[in-house]
Amino acid sequence: MAHAETHDDHHAPRGWVRWVYSTNHKDIGTLYLIFAIISGIIGGVMSIMMRWELAEPGIQIFHGLASMVYGVEGAAALDAGKHMFNVFTTMHALIMIFFMVMPALIGGFANWMIPIMIGAPDMAFPRMNNISFWLLPPALILLLISFFVPSAPGAHGIGGGWTMYPPFSTSGQPGPAMDFAIFSVHIAGVSSILGAINFITTIFNMRAPGMTMHKMPLFAWSVLITAFLLLLSLPVLAGGITMLLTDRNFDTAFFNPEGGGDPILYQHLFWFFGHPEVYILILPGFGIVSHIVSTFSRKPVFGYLGMAYAMVAIGAVGFVVWAHHMFTSGISLNAQRYFTFATMVIAVPTGIKIFSWIATMWGGSITFRTPLLWAIGFIFLFTVGGVTGVQLANAGLDRMYHDTYYVVAHFHYVLSLGAVFAIFAAWYYWFPKMTGYMYSPKIADLHFWVTFISVNVVFFPQHFLGLAGMPRRYIDYPDAYAGWNMVSSYGSYFAGIGVLIFLFGVFEAFQKKRVAGANPWGEGATTLEWQLPSPPPYHQWEQLPRIR
Amino acid sequence: AQPSDWEYRFQPAATDIMQQIAWFEGYTLAFIIPVTLLVLVLLGYCIVRFRASANPVPSRTSHNTVIEVIWTVGPVLILLLLAVPSFQLLTNQYTPPEEAQLTIKATANQWNWDYEYQTDDALSFNSAMLQEDDRAASGKEDKSVYPRLLAVDNEMVVPANTMIRVLVTASDVIHAFAVPSFGIKSDAVPGRLSEVWFKVEKEGFYYGQCSELCGKDHAFMPIAVRVVAPEQYESWLAAAKGDLPAANKALTAQIEAAGKLAAAN
Amino acid sequence: MAEANAKQHDYHILDPSPWPVLGSLGALVMCIGGVFWMQYLKGNEFPVFGVNMASPWPFWVGVLIVLYTMYGWWSDTVKEAHEGHHTRVVSLHLRYGMIMFIASEVMFFVAWFWVFFDASLFPGETVQYARNEYTGGIWPPKGIEVLDPFYLPLYNTIILLLSGTSLTWAHHALLNNDRKGLINGLAITVALGVLFSFVQAYEYAHAPFAFKDSIYGATFFMATGFHGFHVFVGTIFLIVCLIRAIRGDFTPKQHFGLEAAAWYWHFVDVVWLFLYATIYVWASMGGVIAVH
Ligand code: HEA
Ligand code: HEA
Ligand code: CUA
Ligand SMILES: [Cu+2]
Repeated sequence: MAHAETHDDHHAPRGWVRWVYSTNHKDIGTLYLIFAIISGIIGGVMSIMMRWELAEPGIQIFHGLASMVYGVEGAAALDAGKHMFNVFTTMHALIMIFFMVMPALIGGFANWMIPIMIGAPDMAFPRMNNISFWLLPPALILLLISFFVPSAPGAHGIGGGWTMYPPFSTSGQPGPAMDFAIFSVHIAGVSSILGAINFITTIFNMRAPGMTMHKMPLFAWSVLITAFLLLLSLPVLAGGITMLLTDRNFDTAFFNPEGGGDPILYQHLFWFFGHPEVYILILPGFGIVSHIVSTFSRKPVFGYLGMAYAMVAIGAVGFVVWAHHMFTSGISLNAQRYFTFATMVIAVPTGIKIFSWIATMWGGSITFRTPLLWAIGFIFLFTVGGVTGVQLANAGLDRMYHDTYYVVAHFHYVLSLGAVFAIFAAWYYWFPKMTGYMYSPKIADLHFWVTFISVNVVFFPQHFLGLAGMPRRYIDYPDAYAGWNMVSSYGSYFAGIGVLIFLFGVFEAFQKKRVAGANPWGEGATTLEWQLPSPPPYHQWEQLPRIR
Repeated sequence: AQPSDWEYRFQPAATDIMQQIAWFEGYTLAFIIPVTLLVLVLLGYCIVRFRASANPVPSRTSHNTVIEVIWTVGPVLILLLLAVPSFQLLTNQYTPPEEAQLTIKATANQWNWDYEYQTDDALSFNSAMLQEDDRAASGKEDKSVYPRLLAVDNEMVVPANTMIRVLVTASDVIHAFAVPSFGIKSDAVPGRLSEVWFKVEKEGFYYGQCSELCGKDHAFMPIAVRVVAPEQYESWLAAAKGDLPAANKALTAQIEAAGKLAAAN
Repeated sequence: MAEANAKQHDYHILDPSPWPVLGSLGALVMCIGGVFWMQYLKGNEFPVFGVNMASPWPFWVGVLIVLYTMYGWWSDTVKEAHEGHHTRVVSLHLRYGMIMFIASEVMFFVAWFWVFFDASLFPGETVQYARNEYTGGIWPPKGIEVLDPFYLPLYNTIILLLSGTSLTWAHHALLNNDRKGLINGLAITVALGVLFSFVQAYEYAHAPFAFKDSIYGATFFMATGFHGFHVFVGTIFLIVCLIRAIRGDFTPKQHFGLEAAAWYWHFVDVVWLFLYATIYVWASMGGVIAVH
């Protein structure tokens, strides 16, 4: 075992080399988190501008914005502005998903905590870990470039929605903007695949002596499953968008009906990735919430094995439900029956998770520190989003919901009120560990309450809009929808204030430098990271921990 | 039908299928609202009952087979209860009770619709959103009948109480043909033909909107279906083949006159 | 943790490395250059602040950066292996990594097979009137002449199968410490790989259908072309192994580079068998075979 090392550098490299050339999972995790915060701000600003536009019937801001950014005037500005709204919708989604949630949960928290929690000194492939991160800024840059590049006639940027359905993403937007976006997704995809390989290898091979799979923390389970979903679904998306690229640039006929191709085929490829993707976005959050609930209830997680295998089930079934996004696309009646059925099945393992969290709290001795507030918020709001998902799963009913704001409400409840709540829960849970400083619980709680109330104001009324028939991806709507849209928009302004409070809280914590100590959460916090000082040493577990 | 201010449920149903959908929606709510409330109540109970101050010593329970079986089987049962009527509804949507008497092919373009009546002597025309400037000229000033963004220049006119079939396709990118109060929505995909059907009793205007992102004017290519009495439809059809705007105006005039007559009596 | 400050485990803690960030830069340049190039191919201009950037060159600059990165990165890896960093657990990592990389590649091919089967199994669905019109409801589509599966493709199948054998021979030679056998086996494998690529290129040049405008050509060239690219990459991988074998890098105990190349090559081989059985043989049944 004692492997004599000639020289081992135990001091962090200094200056920019430490960050840019990093092979240290904690430093790379930090880079990911910073990147995620920046992306979250960009994506958040875009969403608030969309809401501003939608606050009243008529076109409010986008014609002006288009003339500012693209220098067009009059009727051309109006047309460019209409397209620009779609560009905002598209980029908002891509940025939030690929550059905010995934980097935060997987690249950020998982990178930081998985090696520590399983008792490993670093990731299995530390250098590859760094390229997983460094591919993201180029990917984001490519996406941002596309914003200034021509696409549809008279317009700039990709306005086809994050789903990028052809023919609108092929013949409909011939300018090169879409090519930039396709490459952006390619690069982000490579980054995630490499990251997935890294996590799987780390979790399979680097658990501390004595830590069997069935003793491994649930966060590690969740990331393991997420990594498999990434590994197996992203290449299919890569294939799909590569075909978009050749259809666009080399006149192939994959999705062009005139040459025998089929636009719907792209949708299958996209959603074969896209549905596992939504579980990729939420599973790490499931893992995090399990730890937080257990820590602050001072109880072990209820039904550990059930929790782990429920996630396995969600991941597995998640691969065979994709066409529930395509109920109105003309797929056959039998296909609709199958996909309705398969989709509903997922509610069962998810229910096991929800109830097990509650059972973990049951009989506990609960302290309501900030992370737990976010975790409880998560459990409830995710349930709200989940049960509307079950409605959507019914093809006959989805007929009405599809492509309306009902769907928008559903997925923001699971994403913006699910995944994002998990991110903030994790942030407030591990911030003291990562930085060594304690934030102000007052500011943190305020951040929670402002966000909790405002996002509900944003998204709950969107159910009503959807029921009443308001289609999504609309820059303007019939006047009857004005009321709830106004409410929703006001909510988004307050959500923006919430983000500002968050940023202020971070700033305040770094300024006040309150020392957090190794374990600020008390005896409920049992996973390995709490046995290390805060922040942990540059290389932790030089001596591997032993699990009884 | 059209949405109304602060609407928070479906638009009023105009077809039998839409009635079934609306019923089923209520039925799903009858399960999911209690489930959500249950989660809320359980969380609330934990928060109150198991606060550190109320329960200083935590239990160490981490297993209970009975309860785990219950919360696995419970959802399964709920889902079965949902699935049965759900499949029925779905099947019904694909099983028109009778042969269609009129088939209209709807072709979506960026950003308007072509309607082709597959009658003996085919009628086809284009239907685009009513521009605000054209309201006066086309006699569509009443915004409650011809709402902004929903009204069109030439409505799809169909007879009441008749089974109508619409074949949906597109010429450029994907769009979607949707009329909420009929309970229909179908993507319009280039190179593909899909089919929806409806049968409406009540005469009037029924509005829908393009429901698949299709470019800058996606929000501005509504669908307007005008359901009229079969005789009125026949005379409209005959006239429309010659001069569509005139036929539309004549139809409106005829209906308004009948309405006034009814009001006067 | 003052005392525990010496590494007490077999994992490999790496020094900071310039390669990841350089590789990312290369990827960025390559992507931007790719767009410039595609615009150039279409005869469009791509003005950036008034300068027309449409040209093939930026793309190749990116490729160079990426290739340089790969060279530097993997040289470091080889160096680290020689320094003894690849302990048992670390080489296990490498194995896992390679297996998963191949798994992701399999899913990549799933995408191509998916489009192929979608079109070839359902060429005549009535709702797809445009496809019907194009294919005539049959596969291969009407008016398409296909390649004779029992001519060049069959040769190529034999070539690849042979190369699999010679590679296994090389591997076994290494295990038996037979360096000559290792080098010969690898050399033959490389030669067969190159031969395959040439045959494939010849076939492409004489194909009676094009990549453009037809679902047949699109699915055919995408699947076989992507496979061909993998043969190309695999051949380079094997050439690197050959060089390393000549330099004496591999020992019967430690030769993961060679094993990885072998796995990759066998994977490419298996994909070919699927391609051959489906796209070449099965899907040509009933089609008009082009004369050769
Ligand atoms: C984090 C992301 C996330 C998650 C977790 C989910 C979870 C689910 N989603 Fe969602 N979904 C999205 C993100 C997500 N979704 C996105 C982004 C879109 C739109 C994409 C686009 O078009 O742009 C979408 C769209 C979408 C559609 C397509 C709608 C349409 O376009 O017409 C459907 C249809 O079936 C669906 C269903 C479901 C279901 C059944 C679940 C289930 O997993 C939910 C399971 C959870 C619960 C059910 C709650 C907890 C359970 C209990 C308390 C047990 C008891 C409950 C019952 C018995 C009901 N989703
Ligand atoms: C994770 C995904 C995510 C998130 C967080 C959000 C957040 C928000 N979204 Fe998003 N949205 C999508 C994913 C997301 N959305 C998707 C997929 C679509 C569909 C696109 C399409 O149709 O193609 C969409 C579409 C969409 C629409 C419909 C547009 C249309 O159809 O035209 C609207 C309209 O109101 C909207 C509004 C908002 C608002 C007001 C928020 C607010 O909640 C924003 C407030 C901001 C935050 C809550 C984030 C703050 C986070 C950070 C600052 C990072 C913190 C990081 C660390 C701590 C590490 N979104
Ligand atoms: Cu047409 Cu949207
Ligand atoms: Cu889904």
